[in-house]
Amino acid sequence: MKVVTGVVGNDIHVVANRLIDISLQSRGYEVFNLGVNTYLQEFIDAVVETDAKVLLISSLNGEAQGWCRELKRYKEQFDLKDVLFVIGGNLSVGEASSEEIIPMFEEYGFDMVFHQTDLVDGLDKIDRYVKENKI
Amino acid sequence: MSLLQRDRELIVSNEFVKEFDFNEIENFVKNASKNLFISHKFKNNPNKTLVQPRGGFPTQEKMFALYEQFKSTGVDILPMTIDSNTRLNDYASAKKMLQLSIDEQKDFLNGYPLISHGYKTAREMITHFDTPISLRHGTPDARLLVDMAIASGAFEIEGGPITYILPYSKNFPQDKAFLYWKHVEKLCAKYSTLNEPINRESFGPLTATLVPPVITIVIQIAEMLLSLEEGVKSFSVSFAQTGSLNQDLVMGNVIKRKAKEYAAKIGCEDATINLVYHQWMGSFPRDKEKSDSLINTGAMIAKMVGANKIITKTRAEAFGIPTKEENGLAVSNVQYTLNMLNGLPTFKDEEEEENLERQIDEVFETIFNDPADTLWRKIFNSIKNGIIDVPYSPHIINNNELITVRDESKNIRIYKRGKVPISDKSFKYEQSKLKGKVDKDSVVNQIIHDIGIML
Repeated sequence: MKVVTGVVGNDIHVVANRLIDISLQSRGYEVFNLGVNTYLQEFIDAVVETDAKVLLISSLNGEAQGWCRELKRYKEQFDLKDVLFVIGGNLSVGEASSEEIIPMFEEYGFDMVFHQTDLVDGLDKIDRYVKENKI
Repeated sequence: MSLLQRDRELIVSNEFVKEFDFNEIENFVKNASKNLFISHKFKNNPNKTLVQPRGGFPTQEKMFALYEQFKSTGVDILPMTIDSNTRLNDYASAKKMLQLSIDEQKDFLNGYPLISHGYKTAREMITHFDTPISLRHGTPDARLLVDMAIASGAFEIEGGPITYILPYSKNFPQDKAFLYWKHVEKLCAKYSTLNEPINRESFGPLTATLVPPVITIVIQIAEMLLSLEEGVKSFSVSFAQTGSLNQDLVMGNVIKRKAKEYAAKIGCEDATINLVYHQWMGSFPRDKEKSDSLINTGAMIAKMVGANKIITKTRAEAFGIPTKEENGLAVSNVQYTLNMLNGLPTFKDEEEEENLERQIDEVFETIFNDPADTLWRKIFNSIKNGIIDVPYSPHIINNNELITVRDESKNIRIYKRGKVPISDKSFKYEQSKLKGKVDKDSVVNQIIHDIGIML
């Protein structure tokens, strides 16, 4: 299964990005890692180009909120209804609870949202979702 | 006119350069006080570990106050840390932010914008303190900055085409960086003939995240060779506290031996090679007392590895840019610790040192066997091919296949070698230290733990 991943915006938190890459590979995914400092359009282009079934965006410095509002527009441009959209990390600048953050990102068009969640727990949930929904 | 001079004239004809008088600058360097040259200080203090903090503020006034603070706490070498706009050659923003910092009495830059101040202003301050200044920056294209720094009286230049790219940039072209730094080396070599040598220093910490000794040392020696082959006569290799006392001591012994050996291989045995030790560069505890302890331990290790210079951290590391008082406190504490340590026993770990030396030779053999015509191209190809692979580099050229974890004694070990050409024998040695304690399911948690050991 192909996954596109990377860190959105001008965020250069590379350690978490590498750990996600290593974890996804060890779980058997074929990983297209766009690395840090990646714009939303580049993610969408990569999903279209590779025919990936999962897009996993991460954000550490909270920039995601600003960058991901546009997701719906891109989803309308391309046929991406079979793609699982996931975002995780630290999704707000400053303090914010999951109760506030999760609905906001769901509204942007994400299927799964992990705010300050343990990496392994998050990936387990993606695995389960992929299996149950036969993506 | 030489090609170098032609390029320099082009580079200084920049709207943000107020003045640049080549003859005046040459005369200044020729007649400059010996006290401004770190190479001179190294020569006259062979058994001392010189202490240098980090730091830089936007305005002349705050920079002056910082230096006064450092001088009062017993500093040996003063830092000149450059702001991030200048590092990216964005002199327009640096100039604007400097003006704002002056007008509003608040720092709008994270360092000293040397180009905006101009060399005459900077020189006034530097000659006033009559102490060696080390230029700390992170600039991929430092051609103008280094010319300006030397014109100002800063006679130590940190950085290099690998160590200022792979840890800092996602997509600055690596090949261009080699050429820009070649220009810098030529400049330093040229000025080194006028008075005491200009000292070049490589940035050994890299990403400061589980970088294995073989990668650190190979890159240190590679940058040293690129510098010496252009005629630089004084060079400092460096590395950062690994988190394992044993591994630090092994690295200290090996890097000193190997740097000399490889310098001789290219016929540069006449160059002076110094060793610089960086205190812990990873995440610091948020507890200031624990930070003090970490800093003191680092000072002790610097002395044990025989470092010619130590670069200090502060107890405020976890909280952002330190105040000048916090920064000065670190300097006086480190001096205090260093003064206690005299007549230390020498250390040797034959098995570990042999393993590390073999790995370094294995990687260099592959680099030198690359069919490219020049050394920088061989090294460039080796980065591209994953022969040099820096863990956690954000750069698109980096191979990212090498994975490391810590063993029971906290030594950094190679778990997956990727395309780094260490032999099966060397790899087996690394694996034997891990004793199968990590597998593909536990490796991520192990890494998270190993990165955060000082928290």
